[in-house]
Amino acid sequence: MQPPRTCEDYLSEFRHCKSFRNRFHHYYTYGTAPSCQQWKADYHNCSEWERHKLTEAKDALQKSERRRLEEQKNFTPVWKLRQAPPGDWHRPLDQETQQDS
Amino acid sequence: MGQTKQDEEYGYDLFPERNARKPTQITIRDSLFTFRNKCQVMLTFAMETSPYAKLLLSAMKNSGCKVFKDRHFSCEDCDGTVSGGFDAASSQIVLCQNNIHQQAHMNRVVTHELIHAFDHCRAHVNWFNNFRHLACSEIRAANLSGDCSFNNEVSRFNFGLKEHHQQCVRGRAVRSILAVRKVSLEEAQKIVGEVFDSCFNDHAPFGRIPHGNKDAKFAYREYMNRDRYYMNL
Repeated sequence: MQPPRTCEDYLSEFRHCKSFRNRFHHYYTYGTAPSCQQWKADYHNCSEWERHKLTEAKDALQKSERRRLEEQKNFTPVWKLRQAPPGDWHRPLDQETQQDS
Repeated sequence: MGQTKQDEEYGYDLFPERNARKPTQITIRDSLFTFRNKCQVMLTFAMETSPYAKLLLSAMKNSGCKVFKDRHFSCEDCDGTVSGGFDAASSQIVLCQNNIHQQAHMNRVVTHELIHAFDHCRAHVNWFNNFRHLACSEIRAANLSGDCSFNNEVSRFNFGLKEHHQQCVRGRAVRSILAVRKVSLEEAQKIVGEVFDSCFNDHAPFGRIPHGNKDAKFAYREYMNRDRYYMNL
């Protein structure tokens, strides 16, 4: 097992989160400042996991990512998801114009 | 070739070339010197370089709707100021070659329409009869494509800061509905209001609201590494 993302990814996400540009856009979107501490904690745990194979670090990191995923599902969908793609996605266009021939 | 009532009801009258009985003959001169050629070139560039577009194309491929430029995109002349559209009946994205003149605009339109196509691919979206579905996809497209970025809003002289993004998304979703369906402004605003919270928070496939190319690149990186991500949760 390895961390869900590379440790560099966590560090770059943290730096990106704290950047002026991101803080500006977060305020522009949500009216609040972004909270970036979790990325920093994740980077720390990722390093600990990789360097010292600490189980606490691994568990903490996995828990953090699972929470992140849960937050993304924080809405009731308006529509029903498909089990398979639409059947006519690849249907050739010619078939439609053949009605007048 | 008369306009049917149905064409007007679903916004097809904005895209006159869609209904032509005879496909327009394209000469070599046409293809070298016209808007169509410029549109094709900008489209290719968008698909190959925009992280927004690349992510959506990848997500669609993984959902079973691989996008082929020649089959699923069509550069056409359109009425008014509309920039593009998604035609669910033919599974095509229409790009308005007479209204898109800059690469940045093309990138945005391609992203916006691909979001509609992505929704069509992964969900049972009833484009023609369910206004809530239509509103939802428009909210997502305005939210995630960069339509409502600070810079774009300023260029439209819409100055606002705190939570202005959300106001912009609401407004653009309402406008998009009014452009293609015969409903009143109040009706459109009501429908958008009903589904806003749900659809504003649905960030698939980006996983975040990309505010610019850097965000989109991070989202693309995240998407491309999802196998490792899910295996190690």
